[in-house]
Amino acid sequence: MKEQDTINPSSLRQALAAKARPNLVVVAGGTDILVQLHDRVDRPWPKLLVLDGIKALGKITLHDDFVTIGPNVTFSEIESSPIIGKYAPQLAQAASVAGSVQIRNRATIGGNVANASPAGDLIPPLYVLGATLELLSVRTKRSMPIEKFFVGPGKTVLKSNELITAIRISKVKRIGFFLRLGTRQALAISKVSVAAALMIKSGIILDVKIALGAVAPTVIRAGVAEELLRGNRLDAKLIDHAAEAASKEARPIDDIRSVAAYRKEMVGILLKRGLTKILESM
Amino acid sequence: MVTTDVAVKFTLNGIPMERDVPPNWTLLRFLRDGLGFTGTKCGCEIGECGACTVIFNGEAVNACLVLAPQIDGASIWTIEGVASSGRKLHPIQQAFVECDAVHCGFCSPGMVMSTVALLLHNRIPSNAVLKESLAGNLCRCTGYLQIIEAVRKAAESMDDMHLEKFRR
Repeated sequence: MKEQDTINPSSLRQALAAKARPNLVVVAGGTDILVQLHDRVDRPWPKLLVLDGIKALGKITLHDDFVTIGPNVTFSEIESSPIIGKYAPQLAQAASVAGSVQIRNRATIGGNVANASPAGDLIPPLYVLGATLELLSVRTKRSMPIEKFFVGPGKTVLKSNELITAIRISKVKRIGFFLRLGTRQALAISKVSVAAALMIKSGIILDVKIALGAVAPTVIRAGVAEELLRGNRLDAKLIDHAAEAASKEARPIDDIRSVAAYRKEMVGILLKRGLTKILESM
Repeated sequence: MVTTDVAVKFTLNGIPMERDVPPNWTLLRFLRDGLGFTGTKCGCEIGECGACTVIFNGEAVNACLVLAPQIDGASIWTIEGVASSGRKLHPIQQAFVECDAVHCGFCSPGMVMSTVALLLHNRIPSNAVLKESLAGNLCRCTGYLQIIEAVRKAAESMDDMHLEKFRR
């Protein structure tokens, strides 16, 4: 029998069986992959594994202690989900500013993670929410913190026979934000982005996570800035110190979208903007 | 390299269809080169200009970023299906004409489809929502003001029945 060039499984079991074969390109939405393949429409075409038909991977589910987001969930669905709005406002914010309406209706969270761009807008929120990825193959199942998933731009530890089958976020309530800068508000890939999640009680920061996008080969945490904030009272002076620290932690490059010096400075500005808004709302 | 076409069933402008599609074609190429529906325009082919916007299961999408095999089971509406009969324009199209929102016309099919999708979800959009909903559609002629005016006019004057078919 002739091998199919496009595999359209309707169940996860079929998809995992298909993924056991090498050299498959996975499509979950396709808004990144089709741009990457655009220039080769008339040249040898990779075999595609299209996940769209697997309805079970397209759900947001509430559990006792955590929320599960299926990899096929679109940016639009994240943007409008009351569950995400409650437990992961940073993620909803990021989903609502990425791309355009048309892109957000097709782009998926699994695709955004697997594409592994340091500028992927859903990744910094997932870092600060302490998200866990579930990776399945026909015979194996493993989970890992999202921060362990990325190796470099476009590079991950996902094995060739594995698929991302779930993204989990704990239901601990935190406040936070996602802010980004691009050439224009719509349809621009982020030049720099900052996400944060904080637990504040009586003005004291009990816990904080900060992630920076598009300023290193992968999304990174701003550990020094976090350490400065943790255990202290949020005030304007502390915000300035943290912003300065985060700016130093960024290790951006000059590329087609922006220059390193601007990105470094904007990391501090965005963190300051986000934290100041939280301070003003307290 | 020999490729195997993929069998897909879908509905286009309310008409059920079954076709075999090349696995490496986009929905945009399939509409234009496979079916002769050239109203959907081919601009950037990378999801940035919105000229190829169609309604896919009730939502605006870029036809250039959908693979033809991905349309299996989908309901698709293109600009050809917007006006219901003969020569009479759909109220959204009529508003575009009356507000001079069409200059060269290349972006217009995409603009109209984005407007359909917006009004399907939000019958009385705020200005901010209206602009956000058209942010994925570029126009190099009008400066957008006439287009925004046309969408507002359509939203205010149109009867709900003119949106019903796009929900199917």
